[in-house]
Amino acid sequence: MTAESGAMTTPVVAVDGVSVRTRDRTILDKISLDFSARSLTAVVGPSGCGKTTFIRTLNRMAELTPGLRIQGRVLYLGQDVYDPTVNPVVVRRRMGMVFQRPTVFPASVFENAAFGLRLVRASEEEIDAAVTEALQRAGLWDEVHSHLDGPALALSGGQQQRLCIARALAVRPKVLLLDEPTSALDPAATQRVEATLQHLKEEIVVILVTHNVGQAARVSDRVAFLHSGHLVEVGATADMLERPREKLTEQFITGRFE
Amino acid sequence: MGAVTGAPPLAAEDDLRRDRSGHLRGRTVLDRCIGWLLPLLFLVAIAPILDLVYWVASRALPTFTLSIITTNPSGAAGGLLSPIVGSLEILLLATLVAIALGFFGGLATAEYLDEETAGAIRVTANVMVGIPSIILGLFGFIVFVKYFGWGASLAAAGVTLGIFMTPYVYRATDLAYLSVPPHIREAAVGSGATPLQYLFRVATPIAFPSVLTGIFLAMAIGVGETAPILLATTPVAIPPLSLFQPASALPLYIWSGFENGLILPVAIHRAFQAAFLLLVIVVGLNVLVRIIAARSRRRLEGLFQ
Repeated sequence: MTAESGAMTTPVVAVDGVSVRTRDRTILDKISLDFSARSLTAVVGPSGCGKTTFIRTLNRMAELTPGLRIQGRVLYLGQDVYDPTVNPVVVRRRMGMVFQRPTVFPASVFENAAFGLRLVRASEEEIDAAVTEALQRAGLWDEVHSHLDGPALALSGGQQQRLCIARALAVRPKVLLLDEPTSALDPAATQRVEATLQHLKEEIVVILVTHNVGQAARVSDRVAFLHSGHLVEVGATADMLERPREKLTEQFITGRFE
Repeated sequence: MGAVTGAPPLAAEDDLRRDRSGHLRGRTVLDRCIGWLLPLLFLVAIAPILDLVYWVASRALPTFTLSIITTNPSGAAGGLLSPIVGSLEILLLATLVAIALGFFGGLATAEYLDEETAGAIRVTANVMVGIPSIILGLFGFIVFVKYFGWGASLAAAGVTLGIFMTPYVYRATDLAYLSVPPHIREAAVGSGATPLQYLFRVATPIAFPSVLTGIFLAMAIGVGETAPILLATTPVAIPPLSLFQPASALPLYIWSGFENGLILPVAIHRAFQAAFLLLVIVVGLNVLVRIIAARSRRRLEGLFQ
């Protein structure tokens, strides 16, 4: 397991020995992994390997699931997000999150994108500018700019998911976490989301959980492979998919599980 | 190749016009019978209600004048102003009580309390719906009229009726907040919403139409209830000027109207007019519930997949 991204850049997010357990099961076992600025890391692995739990530990969403014990440190720009003086609400405002299914609120397109800014009582001018910018970055602006006041629930599934990405981007996070964002979308919508992600990785840290090796190959710079709660292998995407070092990784990318 | 003419006879299992159960000609006889029987049964069920409405309206409307809703009763004659105003005042107070107890109770069990405490409260609320309302009336009489010393009054009737209405508002609120889809909560919390921000900005806009429906439904049930207020207030000729004066109410007026009608036939007319007004109020509230429910269904369409 090499730190292939080099020592030149300090990581934006550094995961340091994170374990997650329930009363009778270990979901994640001492995971350590750094994420540096302007990168897209795909976290892959078979169902139940702990990849969703992993990104949920980064922005402290995991602790909302009753019965999980979380140990270890997650450093955001050098600060431990699990420090008792840190409010989890602030952590979640700094690291945006997008879920498997589109999760738009029953409100207008504009209000959905503005949600995070309203939570911090941003001014109307600031919200207008940030919503426009976020919708552009999410690749949705051209489709919705003429009906920003229309109901978000009237958008297609793919548009709703890009609206969720825009909602996360509107507060200008340095980190965006995506939990299988295209698993409920058709191929055309998937392609548009992937195109959006490729633009975003030029600007911020993108961490993408996916069970789809093809998607990891198309969009990521780096792949981390999880299996049964262990980080089996991490490496540059092309290297790892062509020349996996571990037997398990090879089995996974050649489609021999799941 | 020519399958159209001179085709060999089909085997029974291939024949689309036959089946192992015999020849099926379109819909079966049973199908048709049920198609007629169910609407018929429905008519049988609603016929008494339609008859009742006709019966009340036909006795109330011929003698109905504007003065009935603008003047107070005097003896067996006069109008129905004081029971109308009294009913509305009792209903207003009761609704406030039911919202204070039911809405906040529902919010507590849906959002804040642990599952065991919430479960116990849910069972209690269901039991409350089953308590015969005359027993609740007796409770109101003992506690508010006697123990608190409010006497037969608007306050005693309103609070007792409010307690009667509470479980309806409670159940609507509890259910409304529980049925906000979990992925919506995740998204809100994941965007950095505090628990209160989630409650006010996300859950309440989604749940509120159902809560409002529950409140109006409780009002529609409560306004026609007689037993909870029977012992807590008393029919009087003028609307109350304070919380601690008795307030008349339409159901009480109907009840006493029929009682007096045994001796004084003219009282029966007023009782029918009161009954008609009460029906109008109840139907009006139910129509309001329908309108709110339909509107919210349109707005939230697509959210609960």
